[in-house]
Amino acid sequence: MSSLLHKVNFTKPRWQVFSRVLAAVFGGYALATVASLFIAQLLIYIIEKNQAIHISIMLTFLIYAGTAMWVFAVTSARQAWVGLLKLNAILLASTWLLMQFTGVSS
Amino acid sequence: MKDTFRQSMKWFHTWVGLVVGWVLFFIFITGSIGYFYKEVTHYMEPERPLINHQLSKSDMLDKAQQYMSIYASDVQAWDVFLPSSRDANLQVGWRHAPKEGESRGKYIKQVLDANTGQQVITRATGGGRSLYRMHYRLHYLETRLSYWIVGFCTMLMLLAVITGVVIHKKIFSDFFTFRAKKGLPGWLDSHNVLSVIALPFHFMITYSGLLFFPFIYMALSVSIQTNEQELNELMDEVYPSYAEVTPANTPAKMQSLSSLYEQTKTIWSDDKLELVEIYAANDINAHIRFSRGVTDITYNPSDEIVFNGVTGEIISEPERQYTVSSMIHNGFISLHEGQFSATIVRWLYFFTGLIGAAMIASGLVLWTTKRKSQQMKKPNGPDFGYRLVEQLNIGTIVGLPIAIASYFYGNRLLPVEMANRAEWEIHLLFISWALLLTYPAYRPKAKAWSEQLHLAAAVFIFMPVLNALTTDKHLGITLSHGDWLYAGFDLTMLAIGLTFAFAGFKFKKSQRNKTSQSKSAKTQRSNIKTTVDNELVLNKENSGVL
Repeated sequence: MSSLLHKVNFTKPRWQVFSRVLAAVFGGYALATVASLFIAQLLIYIIEKNQAIHISIMLTFLIYAGTAMWVFAVTSARQAWVGLLKLNAILLASTWLLMQFTGVSS
Repeated sequence: MKDTFRQSMKWFHTWVGLVVGWVLFFIFITGSIGYFYKEVTHYMEPERPLINHQLSKSDMLDKAQQYMSIYASDVQAWDVFLPSSRDANLQVGWRHAPKEGESRGKYIKQVLDANTGQQVITRATGGGRSLYRMHYRLHYLETRLSYWIVGFCTMLMLLAVITGVVIHKKIFSDFFTFRAKKGLPGWLDSHNVLSVIALPFHFMITYSGLLFFPFIYMALSVSIQTNEQELNELMDEVYPSYAEVTPANTPAKMQSLSSLYEQTKTIWSDDKLELVEIYAANDINAHIRFSRGVTDITYNPSDEIVFNGVTGEIISEPERQYTVSSMIHNGFISLHEGQFSATIVRWLYFFTGLIGAAMIASGLVLWTTKRKSQQMKKPNGPDFGYRLVEQLNIGTIVGLPIAIASYFYGNRLLPVEMANRAEWEIHLLFISWALLLTYPAYRPKAKAWSEQLHLAAAVFIFMPVLNALTTDKHLGITLSHGDWLYAGFDLTMLAIGLTFAFAGFKFKKSQRNKTSQSKSAKTQRSNIKTTVDNELVLNKENSGVL
C-alpha cells in the first residue's frame, strides 16, 4: 500500500486537475448552498420569506458557475480548497448572524 | 491553472466543452425538434384525416362532447383540443383515476374525425413527444437520475458559454472575420461565429434549462429553510395552479359546448379558441374553461373564460396568482419552451437551437483539428483519447441525425399490430446510434466522415419517398390539400438531406485538395507559419496539458 502511495505523485498535473474537479463539484455545491441561505436571509429584509428563498435558489446557479471558474483560475488546487473553506465559513457565520437580527428561523 | 486568467479560462472552456459535448449535442438536437413536437406527431400518425379547413368549431365541440359522454362517462375531467396552426386535428383527452401505487391516473388522448365525430385509430407511436422528452428525461434512465445528469451537463454548458465570452477578447470584430480557408482558422471562425451570432439565446436557453428543476438541484438549501408544510406553500407560490373543482356526485345536464362557445365570441373578437377543459363533467358542480392559444410570455388571465357548466353563467374564477419571483421564473420557462410563439418565431427557435448544436459540434471538431498535426507525428499513431474523440464526433454529429431518421423509418416500417411498437421506434433510434458510434472505429476517419455524411443525405432524402410508398399521403396530395404540417415535414426532411449531401460533397472536395496539397507540403508549412495569428500561438502553448 505504502509503495503504491510512493508511486503516485500527487503533485503531477493530473492529480492537481482531479483535485480541482472535486473542489469545483463538491466545494462549489456547498458554497452555492450556503450562499443561497445567505442571500435568502439578506432578502428577507425587503421581501417575504418564500420569495426570498425562491430568488436565492434561482441566483445560486450563477454563483455555482462563478465558483467553478474561480477554482480553475487560482494558481494551485490547494489555494482553491482553502479559499472555498474560508468562504463557506464566512458565509455560514454571516447567515447565522443575520438570523439573530431578523429572528426568522430557517 | 495557467499564467493568466484568460489562459486558465481557455483551458477550462476546452475541457468543460469536451467532456459532455456529445450529450449536449443530443440535448440541443432533440430539444430543437421539440419546438415542433406536435407537428412531428401529426406526421407520425398518418391515419389522421387531412386538414379540412371548412369545419366549424361549434360543430366540432358538440361532436367531442357527445363522444366523451359515451366513451368517458365514468371520468369527470375532460379536455377538447381544437385544430390550431400546430395541430390540425380535433382531439379529446381524459385522465383516469389513479390506480393503486400511481400518483396520477393514465391520460388517454384520442384523435377524432371532425366530419363523423368518431375516433380515428392511429398507429402506436411515441410521436414528437417521446423524441423531445429525451431532451431532459434521458430515455432509459430513471427520472431523477436523468434530471441530475442533464442538470450537470447544463451547468457545464453554462460554464462553457461564460468562459467562451471571457476568453473572447475581440467579440465584435471577430464576428465580421470569417476565414473560410481549410484547417484550423476555418473551424475556429465557424465556432466563433456560431457562438456569437446567437449568444443571448445560448445563455437564455442554458440558464432557463437549469430553472426547470431548481428545487431538485438545490433540495438541500430548501429543506434547511422550510418544513414540509412550508415547502408545500412555497411550491404553490412557485407553480400557481387553479383552484380544484370537486364533483358533488349529483348528476346534472350540462350546457352544450357550442352554446358556451357562442358566448365566448362576444368577449373575444378573434377566433383563437384552442382548448376546452371540463371539470366535474355532467355534475351539478361542472366547471368549463375555454382557453385561447397562448400568445404572451407571461400568464394572461384574459385568455381564459370559465363557465358554470350547468347554468352557462360566466364564473369569475380566482386567477392564478403570480408573485414577482414566480413571474420571473415562469418567464424564463416560457422563453425556453417558446409555447407562445407564432409559426415564424417557432422556426427561429428551431434554427437557433440548431445553431447551438452546430456551435457544440464545431467546438468538438476544433478539439481534434488543433491536435491533429501533433498527434500524427507520434511514432505509434494517435493516442487513444484522440481517436476516441474523433470516433465520438463522427458517430454523434452525423450519426445522431441518422439515428433520429431511423426513428421515423421505424414509424413507417414496423408492423402496425406489433406489440410495444412505440417503444421499438425508440429502440431503433438508439440501436442505430450505437452502430454509427462503433462504425468509425473500424474505418479510416476521413472515410467514416464521408460515408456517414452520404448515408445521412440518403436517408433524409428518401424519407418523403418512403412516406409516399407506405401511406396514402404523398407530397402531391398533402400540398394540394394545403396540409402544410404534413407536407412541411416531408419538405424539411428533403432540405436536411440536401444539406448533408452538400456537406458530403464539400468534405470530399476538401479531402481531394488535401492529398494534392500534401505533395507540396514543405512550402505549405512555411506559409502557415507566416499567416498564423496570436490566437493560434496561444492555443499551441495551451494544448500540451492532459
